[in-house]
Amino acid sequence: MIRAYELTKKYGDNTVVQDLDFTVRPGTVTGFLGPNGAGKSTTMRMLLGLDAPTRGRSTIGGRAYTAHNAPLTEVGALLEARSVHPGRTAFNHLMALAHTHGIPRGRVEHVLDLAGLTAVAHKRVKGFSLGMGQRLGIAAALLGDPATLILDEPVNGLDPEGVLWVRNLLRSLARQGRTVLVSSHLMSEMALTADHLVIIGRGRLLADTTVTEFVATAGGTSVKVVTPQPDALRELLTGPGIDITTDSAASPDELDIRGTDAAHIGRTAAAHAIPLYELTPRTASLEQAFMDLTQESVEYRITTPEPTGALA
Amino acid sequence: MTTAAAHPDRRPHPAQQHQAQQHPYRVTPTRVLRSEWHKLRSLRSSWITMGSAAVLMLAVGLVMGTTYTSDGGDSDVDTVVLVLYGSVLSTLCTVVLGILVTAGEYSTGLIRASLAAVPRRLPVLWAKAAVFAVSVFVATLTTALLTFLAAQFFLHDTDQAASLGDPGVFGAIVGNSAGITLLSLIALGLGALLRSVPGAIGTYIGGVLILPEVLSMLPYDAVESAVKYFPTQAAGVLGSATPLEGDASAGGALLALCLWAGASLGTAALLLRRRDA
Repeated sequence: MIRAYELTKKYGDNTVVQDLDFTVRPGTVTGFLGPNGAGKSTTMRMLLGLDAPTRGRSTIGGRAYTAHNAPLTEVGALLEARSVHPGRTAFNHLMALAHTHGIPRGRVEHVLDLAGLTAVAHKRVKGFSLGMGQRLGIAAALLGDPATLILDEPVNGLDPEGVLWVRNLLRSLARQGRTVLVSSHLMSEMALTADHLVIIGRGRLLADTTVTEFVATAGGTSVKVVTPQPDALRELLTGPGIDITTDSAASPDELDIRGTDAAHIGRTAAAHAIPLYELTPRTASLEQAFMDLTQESVEYRITTPEPTGALA
Repeated sequence: MTTAAAHPDRRPHPAQQHQAQQHPYRVTPTRVLRSEWHKLRSLRSSWITMGSAAVLMLAVGLVMGTTYTSDGGDSDVDTVVLVLYGSVLSTLCTVVLGILVTAGEYSTGLIRASLAAVPRRLPVLWAKAAVFAVSVFVATLTTALLTFLAAQFFLHDTDQAASLGDPGVFGAIVGNSAGITLLSLIALGLGALLRSVPGAIGTYIGGVLILPEVLSMLPYDAVESAVKYFPTQAAGVLGSATPLEGDASAGGALLALCLWAGASLGTAALLLRRRDA
């Protein structure tokens, strides 16, 4: 369980993260989303005690990260920038980290194997591709068999096979009851991997919701209709579960209808002799919904209450 | 190998188990030392810099030994200083290594992983300093003794003939190694507080090597007496078998050098606690 309480980070006058409150629960994959520069990495560094918050605090497993006696067993982290000396071999890098906790050599070999790096374990990291570097970072995160994982852009630089590997790994880690927080700037990737979403923009919380909820509110299908008699059609179609919107200023003849399909709209119009110039089913993309949400970062905010409990 | 934790899939409820705090894994100072020792010896650059330091000291010592002639005008030079003249060069190597040990972690980003593993932070710096100091001292002392014996093989029939048992000789050889070690620790501290390899090397050259030379040209007695206790000057005193008139005492020089190293590491520690990584 990760909790952030009014987490705020300022560099001089520049506020990078402001009053972030969120909870990441065990047993689920929580996607931490935001455009580049939204403050995701800064937030993650604060969770790990690497950056000191200007205000607010955070806990992992009930305690501040820095208060843990064996932090690697509590939290495994993959940070955005590489944190490996290129002159060391993958094995030696992990072994040096393992020594701090008394983690045995066998565990190092196990995580190397898990990450598919056994063949290159004794090669210097200098020659690693971006994807291999990411795999090594993930191996390091798994080193202490942690209850919580914090991964900053883990699929960056991975090939499709690697992306699938990370996706399955995260899901299986969550199934084992672990807390998984994974950042990304790709909504589409998170929709496939995460159960829960924490979305931030310009350092502020924009949404704390489930993927299902986000898809329902933002990504549903709609039908675009252009007709010279919008008011008449609107009246005929209005009913429970049907939502009709129009951008009356720009194009008063254009309607955006949700909650029914094109066939029903077309039949209704024909039955009442309402001409239709256009009848187009549209699937709003998650990516678009995410961009709409984050572009208006400051004013726009949706917060879906958690079924399991209120936010702290 | 011995723990169930080696197989994550077998553990049904990690969160619950963690509440019970049953992990055998825990950060201890000894383990951090072990980690830093592993880091130091697993880099090629450590071996290259330490190897160069040894080769330079030995090579210069042999040149001194083989080319020395009693009537060459160097008979007033301290025996140990003459033989270990390569110390100036090997110190540069160990200084660079000291800077790489700390600043190198910042330039590669490894420091974030190190501090995430040891979030109390200071043990990392102390362990680095300890592992590095012991390694440099042992390697330098071994090389210096070898160099002295090798050079004396050629010097035995000159006025620079000396043996380890002569007054002050063994002490000066140990002092020379201690001096090199402490100078390198100053550099390690500089690397940690400046967090940049070129920045720390520049500062070392400017502040430790050049500054006292400039200051000693000033016509003030107070400045002149103060410069005697500057790092390189103090290290020079520690490496001499026979004290020169006007030099600091060996004890004073050792104390001064320890204080310089302490100040460098202390400042680095203070900043390490406060700064974002």
